[in-house]
Amino acid sequence: MAHNELILTDVTKRFGGLTAVDALSFKVSAGQIYGIIGPNGAGKTTVFNCITGIYKSEQGSVKWRGEEIRGLTPYQIVDRGIVRTFQTIRLFSQMSVAENVMSGRHIKSKQKLWHGIVHSPWSKRDELANWHKVEEQLDFFNLSEFAAIPTGSLPYGIQRRVEMARAMAVDPTLLILDEPAAGLNDKETMELLQTIFKIRDKGVTVLLIEHDMDMVMEVTDYLTVINFGKKIAEGTPEAIQKDPAVIEAYLGSEDDDDE
Amino acid sequence: MKTIQRFAYPIFFAVMAILPHVLDSRWQAVAITFLIFAVVALSQDIILGKSGMFNMGQALFFGLGAYTTAILNNEYGWSIIATIPLAILIPAVCGVLLAGPIVHLRGDYLLVTTIGFNIVFVQVVQNNLGGITGGPNGIFGLDSLSFYGIDLTSQVSVYYFAFAVLLLTLGIMRNLAGSKAGRAMHYLREDQLAAESIGINTRIYKIFAFALGAGIAGLAGTVFAVQYSAVSPEAFDFIQSVLFFSIVIVGGSSVPGVLIGVFVMFVLPEIFREFATWRFFIFGFAMIAAMILRPRGIIPATFGKIPKFLIKENNHGA
Amino acid sequence: MDIFLQQLANGLTIGSMFALVALGYTMVYGVMRLINFAHGDMVAASAFVGLTIYTHVTGQATSLAAVVAIFLLSAVVMAVLGVVLERVAYRPLREAPRLSAVVSALGASLVIQNGIMLIWGPRMRIFPELVPQVYWDFGGVVISLIQVIILVLSLVLMIALYLFVEKTRIGAAIRASSIDQDAARLMGINVNSIIALIFIIGSSLGAVGGLFIGLYYRGITFNMGWQYGLYAFVAAIIGGIGNIPGAMLGGMLLGLFNAFIAGYVSSTWADAFTFILLIVILIIRPTGILGERVAEKV
Repeated sequence: MAHNELILTDVTKRFGGLTAVDALSFKVSAGQIYGIIGPNGAGKTTVFNCITGIYKSEQGSVKWRGEEIRGLTPYQIVDRGIVRTFQTIRLFSQMSVAENVMSGRHIKSKQKLWHGIVHSPWSKRDELANWHKVEEQLDFFNLSEFAAIPTGSLPYGIQRRVEMARAMAVDPTLLILDEPAAGLNDKETMELLQTIFKIRDKGVTVLLIEHDMDMVMEVTDYLTVINFGKKIAEGTPEAIQKDPAVIEAYLGSEDDDDE
Repeated sequence: MKTIQRFAYPIFFAVMAILPHVLDSRWQAVAITFLIFAVVALSQDIILGKSGMFNMGQALFFGLGAYTTAILNNEYGWSIIATIPLAILIPAVCGVLLAGPIVHLRGDYLLVTTIGFNIVFVQVVQNNLGGITGGPNGIFGLDSLSFYGIDLTSQVSVYYFAFAVLLLTLGIMRNLAGSKAGRAMHYLREDQLAAESIGINTRIYKIFAFALGAGIAGLAGTVFAVQYSAVSPEAFDFIQSVLFFSIVIVGGSSVPGVLIGVFVMFVLPEIFREFATWRFFIFGFAMIAAMILRPRGIIPATFGKIPKFLIKENNHGA
Repeated sequence: MDIFLQQLANGLTIGSMFALVALGYTMVYGVMRLINFAHGDMVAASAFVGLTIYTHVTGQATSLAAVVAIFLLSAVVMAVLGVVLERVAYRPLREAPRLSAVVSALGASLVIQNGIMLIWGPRMRIFPELVPQVYWDFGGVVISLIQVIILVLSLVLMIALYLFVEKTRIGAAIRASSIDQDAARLMGINVNSIIALIFIIGSSLGAVGGLFIGLYYRGITFNMGWQYGLYAFVAAIIGGIGNIPGAMLGGMLLGLFNAFIAGYVSSTWADAFTFILLIVILIIRPTGILGERVAEKV
């Protein structure tokens, strides 16, 4: 059995004339908290979309546990244990928090289509068992008190937690977080850090994009920095902080101002 | 609201159960029509309201069921009861075959394609393709209902047949709300991309919704054929689909909302017959007003239920 | 060959009427993302308004001036009605769920259609013979003066509209509003006025289309808006809804297609074939011939 590794090799994604991701390669090992950082418009989210099947990259390969997953549909990729959240939160906003989290149990539930028409004692047990799993996630993310509330009416910080709870309900092997700290205040960011560590301690590999440099340096084990779709550096947070190419990419415009 | 609902359903069912015994035969017929159209509107709700697919061709499936019963009875001498399985199955299979190539279309395009299917169906039936649909006049003189030799000719029997079909439909919708498949339909309605990204093969559930909605509408078609002992093309015209579509949206895609919609659209005109020519003029204004005053419908649907044990102490309302 | 040429001429005539009406659908859809189901009934209403103007205003005259007056007056009446329609039935629903606006449009359609019935009665009325019955026979292919007028006038109007939208500042504002209403508003464009303008243009073009239908087919009924409206709408979709040249192309294609179906198959199958064509085109090109593929931003 192959390791729970995600290996991207020379992934390239173009939109018309624009190359959003340019021959990008990196490797996420099991148990890591792996970060991808880069300035705005560097192509970070596009990389995620290529991994999770929303886009199909034109070239390169995306291998997960040794299997090529480039070209699979999003739900097939979820079925292989990779789940994501969105930068712009995408919850089922008219539905309650519990129902949103229950959507993560979809692929774990073995109910057939006809159970939607006629219930059986077995399907009722299956239903109940999955709701109990939802209860676990609600407890883990401290969301129990909001269980019955439609997500659309909740504050932003709580919606972020609901989205992570929904993803975790899938029991993923690899959790992909697209700017999980965006829009959070300091206290919420601190809580998020703790949550990410706890998720890792459950044996889940975490891959995240982040803008908040302080947070990235604190939480990740290993980083890839991209700019204009290309990798410009990779390494541990300590090494990245000293890398001149990274400083250039983030602070380059200030140099220009000086001249 | 909760307490009203707790009493409203038993009262509604009790009233419906004794209704035919207090009505004269004309109003019995109206009540049967109400039941039939309520079932079709609810079947439309499965596709449009629950799954969010802009289907404006529900009368097609309704008509397919009615014509299946009529043709099997009239041409091949099947008893009405014996036609029921096929009257459900044929529309359901057609639902799968028609929806298959088009469910990926964006909202309004799907709407136009389903209008198209409906119009093609009516034209095929009118032109008497295959010589079995009876052309513009349709098929008439169907047998009445009978079951193992028990004669169920009376209008009251037809009423209870229709009522049973409505109860069955409500039961299915209830089961759907508490199942993986039903929730998947809600999720894809709310946000298709998010649904795909959490592992839902949305295509399967879209087609399933069409098949289920079509099968139920087909069954309603059988009841329709029994009630009028005839079928004809104009009963399944695309204008009918427009009405079912509007009923679901105006009603708010909830069961009480849809039932109120069917009542207003099909029963009120029977009460105010002297205003018959004004009917659609007034309905048109009512539709505009209803949407402006209540954009989410008269009684907006609340989504699936969550188990009680999840609702903890110091819960924020709900 | 005779059938082919004859149906070609007929098809271009019908097609230009479809195209004129389709423009009303496509322009409204372009800016509001709304199927204006009432547009077909507005077209039907225009034919009846024209009839009334002929009997009561222009005194049944068929001089050129009288005919021009009928066209202009009908267009003005329909333009006003179009603006009223937008204010009453659509503007309050701009922020509402999309289907609410669709149902409101269906409601407006019922109101107009049944309004026509209540005013002019449920029976077919005969549209006046405003254009003399002149025919030219080209070796078996008969072309009437009415056909020539319809084709030429439609083309002139469509070219004028195209130039207006592509070459003028107001046209640029229309295009901007159809790409992104909020951004257009931020750039100082009064989107409400643009929408009103679109209803004025769409309804007056539809009015001309309605009068053409009256001139060409002669018999007008209160519920013909569903029929012609649906065809024109299909034309708009085939061309790529929201796209102005697309509506013209779609209209012409659909007109020709219908004429050939009528010529070679049977007009009793025209609806079925039209929609089968639509479904096939949408399966091959989900956003129509000239429609752009819209990728969802994630």
